[in-house]
Amino acid sequence: MSLLEVKNLKKIYTTRFGGNQVQALSNVSFSVEKGEYVAIMGESGSGKTTLLNILASLDKPSSGEVLLEGKSLNTIKESEISAFRRNNLGFVFQDFNLLDTFSLQDNIFLPLVLSGKQYDEMKGRLQKIAAKLGISDLLNKYPYEVSGGQKQRAAVARALITNPLLILADEPTGALDSRATDSLLKLFTELNEEGQTILMVTHSTKAASHAKRVLFIKDGEVYHQLYRAGMSKEDMFAKISDTLTMIATGSARGGDLHE
Amino acid sequence: MNSSLYAKLAATNIRKNAKNYVPYILTCLITIMMFYMMCFLAKNTALRTMSGGDSLIMILGLGTVVIGIFAVIFLFYTNSFLIKRRKKEIGLYNILGMEKKHIAKVLAFESFYVAVLSISLGLSFGILLSKLMVLALGKMLSFKISFGFEISGSAVVTTLILFAAIFVLLLLNNLRQIHLANPIELLRGKQVGEKEPKTKWILALIGLVCLSGGYYISITTKSPLDAIGLFFIAVILVIIGTYCVFTAGSIAVLKVLRKNKRYYYKVNHFISVSGMIYRMKQNAVGLANICILSTMVLVMISSTVSLYIGFEDSLKAMYPWEIQVTGYDITKDEGETIEEVIKEITDSHQLEQKEIVTYRYMYQMAKQEGNQFLMTDADTYVYNDGAVLYMISLEDYNRLLGETNTLKPDEVFVYYTNNKLTDDTISFGKENYHIKAMANASEVNLVFSPDMVETYYIILPDKDAFAKINHELGNVTEDINRIQYFYGFNTDAPSEKQLAVFEDILALRRQADVEPFQSLRIQSSEYMRSEFLFLYGGLFFLGIFLGTLFLMATVLIMYYKQISEGNDDRERFEIMQKVGMSQEEVKKTIHSQVLMVFFLPIVAAAIHIAFAFNVITKLLAIFNLTNIALFATCTLVTLGVFIVFYALVYTLTARTYYRIVKQ
Repeated sequence: MSLLEVKNLKKIYTTRFGGNQVQALSNVSFSVEKGEYVAIMGESGSGKTTLLNILASLDKPSSGEVLLEGKSLNTIKESEISAFRRNNLGFVFQDFNLLDTFSLQDNIFLPLVLSGKQYDEMKGRLQKIAAKLGISDLLNKYPYEVSGGQKQRAAVARALITNPLLILADEPTGALDSRATDSLLKLFTELNEEGQTILMVTHSTKAASHAKRVLFIKDGEVYHQLYRAGMSKEDMFAKISDTLTMIATGSARGGDLHE
Repeated sequence: MNSSLYAKLAATNIRKNAKNYVPYILTCLITIMMFYMMCFLAKNTALRTMSGGDSLIMILGLGTVVIGIFAVIFLFYTNSFLIKRRKKEIGLYNILGMEKKHIAKVLAFESFYVAVLSISLGLSFGILLSKLMVLALGKMLSFKISFGFEISGSAVVTTLILFAAIFVLLLLNNLRQIHLANPIELLRGKQVGEKEPKTKWILALIGLVCLSGGYYISITTKSPLDAIGLFFIAVILVIIGTYCVFTAGSIAVLKVLRKNKRYYYKVNHFISVSGMIYRMKQNAVGLANICILSTMVLVMISSTVSLYIGFEDSLKAMYPWEIQVTGYDITKDEGETIEEVIKEITDSHQLEQKEIVTYRYMYQMAKQEGNQFLMTDADTYVYNDGAVLYMISLEDYNRLLGETNTLKPDEVFVYYTNNKLTDDTISFGKENYHIKAMANASEVNLVFSPDMVETYYIILPDKDAFAKINHELGNVTEDINRIQYFYGFNTDAPSEKQLAVFEDILALRRQADVEPFQSLRIQSSEYMRSEFLFLYGGLFFLGIFLGTLFLMATVLIMYYKQISEGNDDRERFEIMQKVGMSQEEVKKTIHSQVLMVFFLPIVAAAIHIAFAFNVITKLLAIFNLTNIALFATCTLVTLGVFIVFYALVYTLTARTYYRIVKQ
């Protein structure tokens, strides 16, 4: 059984006054196995964000369903959805989404506090994760006192501390400089090697080239996918680059690649 | 750029920023109006001539000072909100090429417009409303005195000077902020200020000391005369204490709470405590304002209401009999003539005299040192060690009580009001007497007008004793040390009849060639009723009026708080929802946070009032209101009404806040 299964996802937005309908996702299906590292790429307006919102159970699809460990997100009651999200999914955002009113430690504790965990347990979990992410010395600092890369590490720690089935990352390198980007991507790879399943939405070819598989979305559909298999990062980078060019220029050969 | 351009730009800015500027101008306007009216009343000459007018003027003067302080803080608070919201716009000007001195000119023009607009309108409304208020007051209490439909020149000048100064200070403060900042900071202006506030233990300590000092004074104040002076000091101390405790103390407490891991890491506490630490930095002053305002509203309304309700009691205490006749050096024969003539008058009105009382007494002011009473000059009267002595002969005493007590020539009976004498010897200068018996004055039916300082009733054995004591305690003024004659009675007749009797006695005094009548003082409780009603009703009116105004200020502060907080918190709650907080939890947290912010000041106000209770009852004693139960009831009812009103504003605000956050 796949960890995450997305079946015939369709999302239609109706404009506020009811007139026009906008189809954000027309028919998206894919699945993610346990331990995979998947990147989703696509241009602005391709439906990436809509897809991610539905996966994060922040939004509901018009039709189709999302199964996490075989359980459909549609069947979860409204009152349980937050707890579900908290316990099964970890989020990493482009703009970190850390709260300035909390120290990094308290930011990381936030999902656990919401789940009603005891301090000692939280502390125990944090120590391991903080050591792994190299932020042990920064825990008492506030978000506005540390660099972007350090903030993103804290955000990753917050995502990891609930031991989620799946990490959803939305343009995690979007606000980072190249050094911080490299080290974050290295971190993701390490986490993945330890068995953490990661689903990342990104614009960046470099970020995507670290993933084991890349899905390309165009006009609300999965247009193409690439497996890294034995490829080196450089080859993967070139391959992604080619695909993107092809998608952008709408090459006639596009149809051939379609699986 | 020429200066007319700046002027135009400033005018456009105000118009474009109407959403922020209108409430601000309104705030300035109302504050100026309030201040002018208070100042107008405090400087009003008609009030001063009223009986009890001096205390009233003093209270109003205190009110003026408090409103003045309040105006400075309140306007700085609303202005800081305004400038914070406008920083982005100012930053944009800067980036588009305006230099800081140009921006300063525009801001100066803006301040000028706001100042002129709000001062002129505020004063006009103030003058208009002060007249309206006087008119309404006159109608309500059917004034005999013209309360003066006047514009108080000195009040106008005071208001002008104070507010012109405040506006200049506000402008300087704004310029300082803009001068110090670079354009990028200005552009992001709304986001700065999120640094964690430091714990200021010293300030918190000062706050606690001031607060406990104020509380101590108000609890320990014993005499009403002390209360007048000390009340002011206590109020200032409590105000300082409140500001310090709210600004520094609150953060210290929150940080201690945060250190307690078991408490802190619970869903509600976690988010509220951390949020509050930041919120308090911006809101502490606002909350302290609300707390002080609420306290003022509550004290003012509860005390004026209880004065108004209890004025019958006060009247009864001041004038125990319907008709009272007093005079000096009335011989026995003269006394009998007076009683006969007055009886004829009441008979002619077909009224019967009831509860007739006649006696003679001597009234002495003395300096008290333990059991010793010494000669004093009149000024000592106001000090702590001053005492009032009423001396009555044994003969009158026995007649009044219908008893047959005896005293040896060197013996006296003593009744005290508060403080028991410690020894069984009492001395007046060099004259010593043995106290045969001592009791609290409340145990005996001796009716005298209540005094504000410690009062003793001394029952003397004979005329000799009067002369000796008079000699020892001196001749302060001739009137005071002479033997006073008192004659009082009731008729239980309706008001007009009592007044008719009173008029007849007065007429008799004017015509009579009988010597004693000309020097008599004749009082009617019915006649005094209208004067009392005037004074207490006036205070009542004032209390309600100012109470309403202060309440308006409270609502304005709330408005600003909610707008700024809602906008700041929106982002935080968005993040929390993304991290896995449910809508329900967000709602619950918002409610608990708003609840905490809302009810902190009211709880503090309730504590202030509980401590102030003693000193206020002493102040009310000046107005002859000694019914503490009545005042307690009034306070509780006012507090109850206030909380209901407050809860109403709270539910509305929580809803608005939630809507802003949810956007």
